[in-house]
Amino acid sequence: MTVYGAVFYILAGVILIATGLAITRRNLVHSIVYLVISFFGSAMLYYLFGAPLLAALEIIIYAGAIMVLFLFIIMMLRVEPSALRKPTLRQWLPAGVLGLIYVAVAILVVTTDPGSQTILETALARPRVFGRFLFQRYWLSVEIVSFLLLIALVGALYLGKAFVKEGGDQKEDQS
Amino acid sequence: MMNVWTLFIPELYCLLMAVVFFGLAMSARPNPRRDYFAALFMAGVGVVVALACVRLEGTLFFEAYRVDLFSQVFKVMLAMGFFLVVCLCTELNGIEERHHPEFYLFLTTCTLAMMMLVSSVELLTIYVALELSSYSLYILVPLRRGHGVDVEAGIKYLMVGACASAVMLFGLSYVFGVTHTTYLVEIIHVLPGVIGTPAAIVGLLLVLCGFFFKLAVFPFHFWAPDVYQGAANQVTAYIATASKVAAVAIIMRVVALSGGSSKYLVDMLVTLSIASMTLGNLVAIVQKDMKRLLAYSSISHAGYVLIGILSMSATGYASAIFYALAYLVMNLCCFLVVVKVSHDGSDLKIAQLAGLHRRAPLLAMALMLAVFGLAGIPPTIGFTGKFLVFAAAMEKGYVALVIIAMINATISLYYYILVVKAAYLMEPDEELPRLPVSIPTKVLTVALVTAMVVFGVAPSYLLEVARAAARMLM
Repeated sequence: MTVYGAVFYILAGVILIATGLAITRRNLVHSIVYLVISFFGSAMLYYLFGAPLLAALEIIIYAGAIMVLFLFIIMMLRVEPSALRKPTLRQWLPAGVLGLIYVAVAILVVTTDPGSQTILETALARPRVFGRFLFQRYWLSVEIVSFLLLIALVGALYLGKAFVKEGGDQKEDQS
Repeated sequence: MMNVWTLFIPELYCLLMAVVFFGLAMSARPNPRRDYFAALFMAGVGVVVALACVRLEGTLFFEAYRVDLFSQVFKVMLAMGFFLVVCLCTELNGIEERHHPEFYLFLTTCTLAMMMLVSSVELLTIYVALELSSYSLYILVPLRRGHGVDVEAGIKYLMVGACASAVMLFGLSYVFGVTHTTYLVEIIHVLPGVIGTPAAIVGLLLVLCGFFFKLAVFPFHFWAPDVYQGAANQVTAYIATASKVAAVAIIMRVVALSGGSSKYLVDMLVTLSIASMTLGNLVAIVQKDMKRLLAYSSISHAGYVLIGILSMSATGYASAIFYALAYLVMNLCCFLVVVKVSHDGSDLKIAQLAGLHRRAPLLAMALMLAVFGLAGIPPTIGFTGKFLVFAAAMEKGYVALVIIAMINATISLYYYILVVKAAYLMEPDEELPRLPVSIPTKVLTVALVTAMVVFGVAPSYLLEVARAAARMLM
């Protein structure tokens, strides 16, 4: 095994463990931290595959922006870790069986399919080319998306305010 | 360079309006009169701007955006719908006073998004424009004063909308995979050749699903009754008119991509059309709430419009454009009455219409004409619209479909007549005072009624415009 191979398996393992932990934690903040670790792992995988721009975007957008936003929301709403019941056997059995089928099929595909042996041609795009392509050809879409974000922000502000007000009313009712 | 931005003037004007309302939303003291007159004035100018730009033609932004008669006609309709909805906002009691600027802001951004939607000829632009219009509506629905039903309606709308978006994105990826491009100009050359393959046809259908959600066609209609009832009356009026018109436009654009050669697509559209008509009409019969009734009626009308579109001929598209305009006028007239009769902004029960002919004769007459128009009785514009749509389908030989549609129109007559009966024949339990109808409202009512009758009897000019617009698609 080459050193790259070793790095790959280490990264893959870390990602798997981190993602597994992320979806099993009861505390939302903990699960987000694990998810961030998993994103960092994927970013390094991309780098390993020769896509540095994708790696950077993964960290900047997913691990950085989106996850920080999640953290903000959770902290703002102060969601208590919910006291959910543990899922019963009947609940997780179907999911488990289906998941196992997936694993089995995936192993089968990887080991038997000759197509899995072929090496795909790498598509390389320099950041400069990529950026130019995006902001020239899709200029209008980018602008509309930015406007969309503004509207979503105003809406979130409004709905958040209404939510807080309602909460206040309830407290008055109780007293 | 100058020329490029001239093409974009209606949208730029909408953007300007949005900026103004954004500024008004910042002001510390709520002032509904100021907001209303600002909106009325700017929306009025918006119609003039859209009309002035109707003859412009050209492409913009790396061919992602096409300005032609088709798009401009729809922009005029959207600007008109926006203006008329703003006209209904004299007593905006359904929404808290300090949120009025936001209300106008979201209406404006939604109109802007739909204007961009009808002009976009690139899949990504279409998708983000659609999302912008949807987001504006998602926020408009729960803006209503008082919590409870409206929140539920808002969540339902968001959920169904998000599902439709996901389905549509999935379809877009298929279409992109099959044709290797996101530009409709190129897709229209490639897609008819591969329309027989499952990936192409499934992709196109899934893309259409996103727009069917907007139009409330059968499998995506669940939101309509609750949202119509839950949203403030004016918001419902907007959703029921302007947003439907934009949906019709974009569905036509996408269906025209198939080149009219796919049997599967036609069969699928026929099925959806029949399901929408039948379901909408049958469920509408038992409704007690006026807005819920109009919601189910809108589901059935979506079915009628699809008949015109699935004919996939120039006549068919022209008839669908005409139908969209007719529907806009008739429905706005209905909502005018709804808004005026329930002036405190509450939901209107059909029984509450009792004695309307004495309380407000003009409104009762307008309601009767609008409802007869929706049912398709001559000499209203609704009859002409239905006639054109059915004629286009007959031309293509879809006799069975037309017969089913006619049976449906007869069924629908029953519940429309119930509304007229409530307004004219039923007496209220207790004597109610006359409804105050202001002079501008009278003018607006008379204008809408005149439009319904005049264009019903003499549709030739509008039809010419619709035909010329439809030719842009072929």
